[in-house]
Amino acid sequence: MIVLDNVTKRYPGSQEALSNASFSIEQGEMVYVTGHSGAGKSTLLKLVAAIERPSNGTVLINNQNVSKLRESALPYIRRKFGLVFQDHKLLYDRNCYHNVALPLAINGITGADAAKRIRAALDKVGLLHKEKVMPITLSGGEQQRLAIARAVVSRPSILIADEPTGNLDKNYAGDILNLFGAFQQVGVTVIIATHDALGTTNQAHKILHLDHGRLTSQQVTADE
Amino acid sequence: MNSWLTHHTQALKLVIARFQQNLFSNLFIALTIAVSLALPMIVYLVLSSFSGLVSTIKSDSHLSLFLKQDATPTMIDSIHNTLATREGLKQFHFISKEDALKQLMIDNNNQDIMSTLTENPLPDAFFIEPASLDSAAIQQLKEDLSQLDGIETVQVDDAWLKRLGYLLVLGKKAIFILALLLGFALFTVIGNTIRMQILTQQEEIEVSQLIGATHSFIRRPFLYSGAIYGLIGALLALIITSIVIWLFNLSVSTLAAEYQTDFSLHLPNFNVFLITCITAISIGLISAYIAVSKSLFKSIN
Repeated sequence: MIVLDNVTKRYPGSQEALSNASFSIEQGEMVYVTGHSGAGKSTLLKLVAAIERPSNGTVLINNQNVSKLRESALPYIRRKFGLVFQDHKLLYDRNCYHNVALPLAINGITGADAAKRIRAALDKVGLLHKEKVMPITLSGGEQQRLAIARAVVSRPSILIADEPTGNLDKNYAGDILNLFGAFQQVGVTVIIATHDALGTTNQAHKILHLDHGRLTSQQVTADE
Repeated sequence: MNSWLTHHTQALKLVIARFQQNLFSNLFIALTIAVSLALPMIVYLVLSSFSGLVSTIKSDSHLSLFLKQDATPTMIDSIHNTLATREGLKQFHFISKEDALKQLMIDNNNQDIMSTLTENPLPDAFFIEPASLDSAAIQQLKEDLSQLDGIETVQVDDAWLKRLGYLLVLGKKAIFILALLLGFALFTVIGNTIRMQILTQQEEIEVSQLIGATHSFIRRPFLYSGAIYGLIGALLALIITSIVIWLFNLSVSTLAAEYQTDFSLHLPNFNVFLITCITAISIGLISAYIAVSKSLFKSIN
């Protein structure tokens, strides 16, 4: 469902952030993108999520070529993805409930239907009791979970997370990875970028390893 | 259609909520807008009240030639011929003493007085409209005509009215310029306010774009915001203008009473209000649109 063919991304005034990457991701797969910081993991995720367009090569999302789409069509492609950002990008001027409400508002979903979904998403990440709390008062792990709730509230078929465990201690990191595992088990494609050696789950997963913008290895681990 | 409506009510609710959050500062911004709108509105209303006055009391003649009671038809003919050949007259007409009396009798109020008269006290008269309004030329004309045989008096009347008329035309041009300049100020005020709002909501805008908000989704609340500033500004301008005109009228009516007229300045009517609203809302929309388009959509794509 996501195919990158010979994709290169070059930012103005810098080296290639990603060089000639080719891989494909199937529906329901669990994919880890690994590599040291600056290896091009974030760039790869942005290309997959149609936030950036490739300088060369083709990116196909559900058989749609991102480079050929009109700019006005890109927002609709992006809505297929649930994004968890490296720096959370939570909005600190509103409470947890309204943070999670944002993607639904963008999709034009409001009212009782929205409220039900928001509470379901908060419940899934264990923050239902904190819906009226301002995000600034949450711990790092809780903020990460709130970001996940926002990413899944519009029921995306693909969940993308950039360094979701970066600043968390081991216990928390394990919790978060289990949470992603749970989404993958109900059929969601999960793509996670991480720089540290994984405290990975036991589920089958694919690893894309990047080194200085090059895809050096792709390996698939089966269920244990 | 349904989701279109949802998007719009959603944006409107958001804008109203934000407006209430900073009610005080927002009201001050609206007040600034209102003053910019009220100034040309007040000047316009004062001028249009005066031009109404001018058109009601304006008559065609500017010089009146009253003939002696014993002026003979020959004298009248001779004056007529002189006037007909003289240059510097735009037009003139003759009203005989009989016509003048009939005219007077038509007016009901005068009938009592008229019935007590044994003879017609009115003189024959010529009414002249000079070609130029130059006061020296009119003075010269007056002197020349006084020399004619059979003339009792020459009266110069309402040249000042015409001059006032010209001043009003000048005044209307001045309002146009004033409105234009203040419109530009309005444009800047609303544009800057929207830019400020964009700055405070930069994070939300960025996140929204990343998770699939369309340009119009992001632009919409700011457009509403601009339009609402315009609308509230126009409403406040109407209130300010009405109060100012009302205060003016307190003094104007006493003054007018001295002149036996019931002249007063016009309060803003529906048309004035409608035009002000439409102008203010359009300026709000356009400046918001420009502000959003310039400030946004840099980070992505």
